[in-house]
Amino acid sequence: MAGRENRKEEFSEAKDIVNQLAVIIRTSAIHDTGNVAITTAIGKFTAIINPLILAEKEILLELGGEFFFFNETRIRYPLEYLTSFDFLAREFKKRGLGSIVFRATLKSEDVQGFLRAFIASASSLEPFEALAEAIADIGSLGIGRLRKIRDEEKTEGTSDVRKMVKKSYFNAVSYTRGVISKIKSGEKVNIKKAKRVVESMVDMILEEEQLLLGMTAIKDYDEYTYHHSVNVSILSVALAQRLGMSKRSLTELGLVALFHDIGKIEIPSEVLNKPTSFTDDEWRMVQKHPFWGVRAILKMRGIDATAARAAIVAFEHHMYHDLSGYPKTRESYELDFFSKIISLADQYDGMTSARVYSRIPMPPDRALSIMMERSGTQLDPILFKFFINMIGVFPVGTLVMLDTKEMGLVYQSDSAFLDRPKVMVIINGKGERVDKYIVDLTEKKSDGKFLRTIVKTMDPNKYRISPAEYLL
Amino acid sequence: MELLDDIKAAKEVVQSLLKAKKTFRMYPDTNPMYAKTIEDTNAKFRNFFDYRDELTFKIKQNELFCDSEQIYHNPQKEDNIALFFFKDGLREITFKKGFSVKELEDFLKILTVDYDREVLDDDVVTLLWERDFQNIKYVVDEAFLTEDEDYENEAVREVKDKASEGDELAKAYEDSFNEESVKDAVIVPLTDKDLHTIVKEIEKDAQDKTSKLITIIFEMLYQAENKSEYEDVVHFLNSIIEFSITHGDLETALHILRKTKEVFGVSSVADEAKKNLNMVFSFLGFDATIKLLGELLDSGIEINEKMWDEYVSFFDKNAIQPFITILGELKSIPARKNVISALIALGKKDIQSLAKGLQDSRWYVVRNIIYILGKIGDKAAVDYLLKTVNHSDMRVRKEGIKALGELGAPSVFPVLRECFNDPDVQIRTAALRALGNIHSTTAKSIILKRMTDAVFAKTEFSEKKEFYEVLSKWKDDDVVDFLVKTFKKKAFFKRAANDENRACAAYGLGLIGNKDALPLLHKAKDSKSKLLREQVYSAIKRIEYGR
Repeated sequence: MAGRENRKEEFSEAKDIVNQLAVIIRTSAIHDTGNVAITTAIGKFTAIINPLILAEKEILLELGGEFFFFNETRIRYPLEYLTSFDFLAREFKKRGLGSIVFRATLKSEDVQGFLRAFIASASSLEPFEALAEAIADIGSLGIGRLRKIRDEEKTEGTSDVRKMVKKSYFNAVSYTRGVISKIKSGEKVNIKKAKRVVESMVDMILEEEQLLLGMTAIKDYDEYTYHHSVNVSILSVALAQRLGMSKRSLTELGLVALFHDIGKIEIPSEVLNKPTSFTDDEWRMVQKHPFWGVRAILKMRGIDATAARAAIVAFEHHMYHDLSGYPKTRESYELDFFSKIISLADQYDGMTSARVYSRIPMPPDRALSIMMERSGTQLDPILFKFFINMIGVFPVGTLVMLDTKEMGLVYQSDSAFLDRPKVMVIINGKGERVDKYIVDLTEKKSDGKFLRTIVKTMDPNKYRISPAEYLL
Repeated sequence: MELLDDIKAAKEVVQSLLKAKKTFRMYPDTNPMYAKTIEDTNAKFRNFFDYRDELTFKIKQNELFCDSEQIYHNPQKEDNIALFFFKDGLREITFKKGFSVKELEDFLKILTVDYDREVLDDDVVTLLWERDFQNIKYVVDEAFLTEDEDYENEAVREVKDKASEGDELAKAYEDSFNEESVKDAVIVPLTDKDLHTIVKEIEKDAQDKTSKLITIIFEMLYQAENKSEYEDVVHFLNSIIEFSITHGDLETALHILRKTKEVFGVSSVADEAKKNLNMVFSFLGFDATIKLLGELLDSGIEINEKMWDEYVSFFDKNAIQPFITILGELKSIPARKNVISALIALGKKDIQSLAKGLQDSRWYVVRNIIYILGKIGDKAAVDYLLKTVNHSDMRVRKEGIKALGELGAPSVFPVLRECFNDPDVQIRTAALRALGNIHSTTAKSIILKRMTDAVFAKTEFSEKKEFYEVLSKWKDDDVVDFLVKTFKKKAFFKRAANDENRACAAYGLGLIGNKDALPLLHKAKDSKSKLLREQVYSAIKRIEYGR
């Protein structure tokens, strides 16, 4: 039995506390802690946090992965706070700081002392230790070290969470396969079930975003259509989640994304699976699939808000940001927000997957650099920035060589350090094939320099290396 | 065995939830019972929370357990709260002490949803998930989401089977030393302006998408190439119209109709497309569509008159019969008024179809149709209306006579004349007014003839007065002469009856406002007949002061 608990932000002030903490840290990098700008900001910070400290007796603000937690409850925040959250996560990680404990009512002097120590620790070779020592006298505060990679993560990655993520992913693929087969045979599709499948994915994205994103690196040539639908759904929801969209909207987006390519079921398989280039007539037929998508969805669902949304996306997902794609419309046109998100995810997953007409998929970093060139023309430039922030400069599945001469596959991205993901090493520094292990590229040596850095990227397909083989 | 107090309290919570499930379905949220149900259920929860901080129900197909105690059992399918949760995969549900009244109300609403309705895409789990309760936790068995149990294992096995050879990995490693080094990635950071733009986009995204969908459907029309594609387009447009009407959104339906009409003027659109598009207008008049429209009208949604008139202008005559059908079913007066105005507009296109409504078994529908025919003013309706004068219901007959008066064709005169012989004064009066409305010489002659008939003398004063009033509408010499002559008439016998006639004549002269009659009227000011005096006095005032 798979368990699922709904978790909920219990402290609505938590997001304001993180935001305000980011504000005072950012300001203290410019001004002295006695400056009025800082003291005013500190006043605001203590006014929000002190009543909670009183009520809860102790508050633990913790950075776990990419998210902040407040007394073990993940903090959700509106989009306006994104830069503050990212900034604070980066500053925590720079210092190896994993948590701050607020034990008693904070005085302004306590916060000023903490700020001085926090700023100074950045230039220390051992920032966490420096910070811990400097604030030792402040009784109301304590800090904890940033947790390193979990032991189980270091090796096989077979933790229960990973198992659940995998289960969720394959459930979705298997469900999509079933749905497409039903649509093809004219059977009725159970949307309640589709919603539940997507909700399960949304939950995973909210709790274990990077693990589920990692699953999108699994590209199965034989089952391309189903994997692609699910991957686009995951990538879209993960992106939208960063935009602060509600759970309900995320479900709708995920659902709509699952059906974005549904029009392709009308393209004869001998055309769709043709190994050579399309003839003009075949290309015209392929370009009709957005229309057929609209038709399939509306026939399957009738008209309602979700069907409308799905039909719009099915129609627009190849139109591009600058409307240079297809279909061309007679009337002036503006792309739907969901279509902008889904077309980004669609392009990325399409480029990095093996298909009949392009058996060799593009390495993720190469795909990303092509997408970067398309940003502002084919792709929405702002959403693309969010996309990069989400999947990192070296997306999951990228084959990389480290400066330690270790070779491995990118395993998880780090939104605070986009070029410093976690890497699953498969060949050690001596060039020997080893049991895979995970390394975090944000880890530093005692001299403050990074332990490992990516120096080269390789095309895994050239050597028939399938990321799925390692990531599963 | 005696149950522990906390288990008893848990049992009471279940019973109160069952009760609430029923009452919530029966009473709207404005009803005091609704509030009382929340209050009672909340009290049961509070009672439990006096013992413990969390209440957990373990859910089986037909049972609920609290700890290991069975606190609910129902082997039936109906009203089985355990099955209700179980069927959607819910296996455990926990309420925490902080469970607020608002959360309770929302939970009860979820409990009360009619999940069997075809249109609903949500199940209990989805609704709990979307509501994101702070103080309800639940465990779900998602096994039923798995289409193929072995899919995961097979997929993983396949990937492993295709695993690359160690040699190739070694080759990759070797080659990597000759690869170009990565360049520093240029990452353009997100700015506050970017965030602001996205926030705006998300706000904008909340707008209804139907209008966008309509644009897409029309694009499909422009690019359609065969009959089947045209038919699909028409089907989708019709479905959107249906959807919009169901949701009380006449504006969207109008948007489709306007666009459809525009397409007829676009030369580059194929004739075949235009031919098919006609079906959109026909669809408006289908029984089911009009029935939906009737529900919208009856729902109390305020409908702008201009918008309604425009909407009606897109109907064709096939809508007449369904409109007549719903006319007899609508409950609200504004709704009926709208349908009547629609039938006035549509009936002009096909009087014959509209006139079929006169056969309706419901008298009030027939009366409405007569009214509509009268308003249309097409003399072609006269033949149909003549029959209504013999309808079994008095109200219909009156309306029929009135309508005949509005149409005023020559063929109506014999019927109206005949109505003067009707035993019912209402019919006679209706016929009189109808003739007055026609206001022709023939009509005047018929009235005068009746007034000079011996039978007329026996008529009640009020009816007589009505005749004089209608007659005075003509204001011509014939009528003035008739009134003067009547007024001057003296009688030795039946003086009271004569005075009544004179009083009516005075009333008529007053209505005409004939100043020449003043000396004559003044002479009768002091008449012994009170009735005559009063009418004379009124007539003088009316003529002299225009009152």
